[in-house]
Amino acid sequence: MSMETNITLTVNGSVVTLEAPPAARLLDVLRERLGLTGTKEGCGEGECGACTVLLDGVPVNACLVAFGQCDGREVTTVEGLGSTAHLTPLQEAMVTEGGAQCGICTPGMLLSAEALLREEPRPTEPQIREAIAGNICRCTGYQRIVNAVNEAARRREARS
Amino acid sequence: MSVAGLALHPFSTPKTLDEALALLAERSARAEKTVLLAGGTDWFVERHVAPAEEAGVLPLVVDVSRLDALRGIAVEGETLHIGAAATYLEIRKDARVAARCPLLAATARDVGALQIQARGTLGGNLASGSPAADGVAALAALDATLLLRSIRGARRVPLAGFYTGYRRSVLAADELIEAIEIALPPEGSPFAWRKVGTRQAQAISKVAFAGLAVVASGRLARLGLGMASVAPTVALLPATRALGLSKPLGEVTDADVEQAVLADVSPIDDVRSTAAYRRHVAVRLAQRFFGELRAL
Repeated sequence: MSMETNITLTVNGSVVTLEAPPAARLLDVLRERLGLTGTKEGCGEGECGACTVLLDGVPVNACLVAFGQCDGREVTTVEGLGSTAHLTPLQEAMVTEGGAQCGICTPGMLLSAEALLREEPRPTEPQIREAIAGNICRCTGYQRIVNAVNEAARRREARS
Repeated sequence: MSVAGLALHPFSTPKTLDEALALLAERSARAEKTVLLAGGTDWFVERHVAPAEEAGVLPLVVDVSRLDALRGIAVEGETLHIGAAATYLEIRKDARVAARCPLLAATARDVGALQIQARGTLGGNLASGSPAADGVAALAALDATLLLRSIRGARRVPLAGFYTGYRRSVLAADELIEAIEIALPPEGSPFAWRKVGTRQAQAISKVAFAGLAVVASGRLARLGLGMASVAPTVALLPATRALGLSKPLGEVTDADVEQAVLADVSPIDDVRSTAAYRRHVAVRLAQRFFGELRAL
């Protein structure tokens, strides 16, 4: 029972030990204590999906996870996918298919799609649409994002 | 919000159920408030919407999301046993739930979207007591029993006796919901799950309807109904159930169903819908289910 707690977790493949309030949102700890500002805050109520990260490989809204619930767990943010110089096939496809416009939903969208492709390398369109149903995009109308995930599946298969 | 926004809440992560129960007992004896945190899909939203309520002594937040005793899904005989902290994602992926309790699997697939399903739990849905809870509507149709536990022991409460009013229940301050027990219907029993909202994913229901029936020789041998967002608590529709069980299905008319449903619901106007629309949808959903049962 404490205000600040040391918690050890794996973030984007690196083990980190952080002292932060355990009731703080994972979202705030990622952005303010780790400087991982790729994770965006949209609604703050678990509806828009802009703050989606992977927790032990599963998409969650980082605005609804207590930092204290992350001890010993693995968190992946958009910074853990590719880098500007080395985009993943999914990130490349989002660029070439025009799946990103204003960009606020893109990090969360990428993580939801990444989780889908890890579990289902050749997803159907309904599977893609269900996987990103918790990520709201106000620009694209979704079709180009769906195209990008389809294209990413094809590129991943071609590379493997 | 920032790290500072929730910094002041004391937080505890008990390692065992006994430890959690002892903590609850100590705190309730001192009249200190405790929040049991599972998926956080309600608690964090409430903190975000109404942070001003935090004035005064803050409750202790107790993380129960990883207590093994609250997490399992098992079939024992003809009873489905779901730990209160099992997530909707775990429920929808469970082959036994899909095979033996497809109504619950269908509901779990419709709660929020994947991110919410990965965190949200039946125990949390029940304890929050929202009348709009999809999961609770399904549990109502399944006539679920709740296993409640404190250091004083365990007790079983049928869902029909759990709520005492809007967001109020018989759960004592030193108790938690350990599990949900469902008497499994025969395989292939007809069921209905229908969520009416602005959008299939994420939107909170304007009305959600769950139905489960066991039909024998043109009559209903078992009928379970649950409806969300039409009353101060998730509605069990007792008049509509009684109607369905009272005579052969072929004699239950749409007019009978309308009259019974309207006696069972008391919806309100709110940000999501109107009372008039909800009454209309409630009647139609129940009529459609009875129609499906008659057509079997």
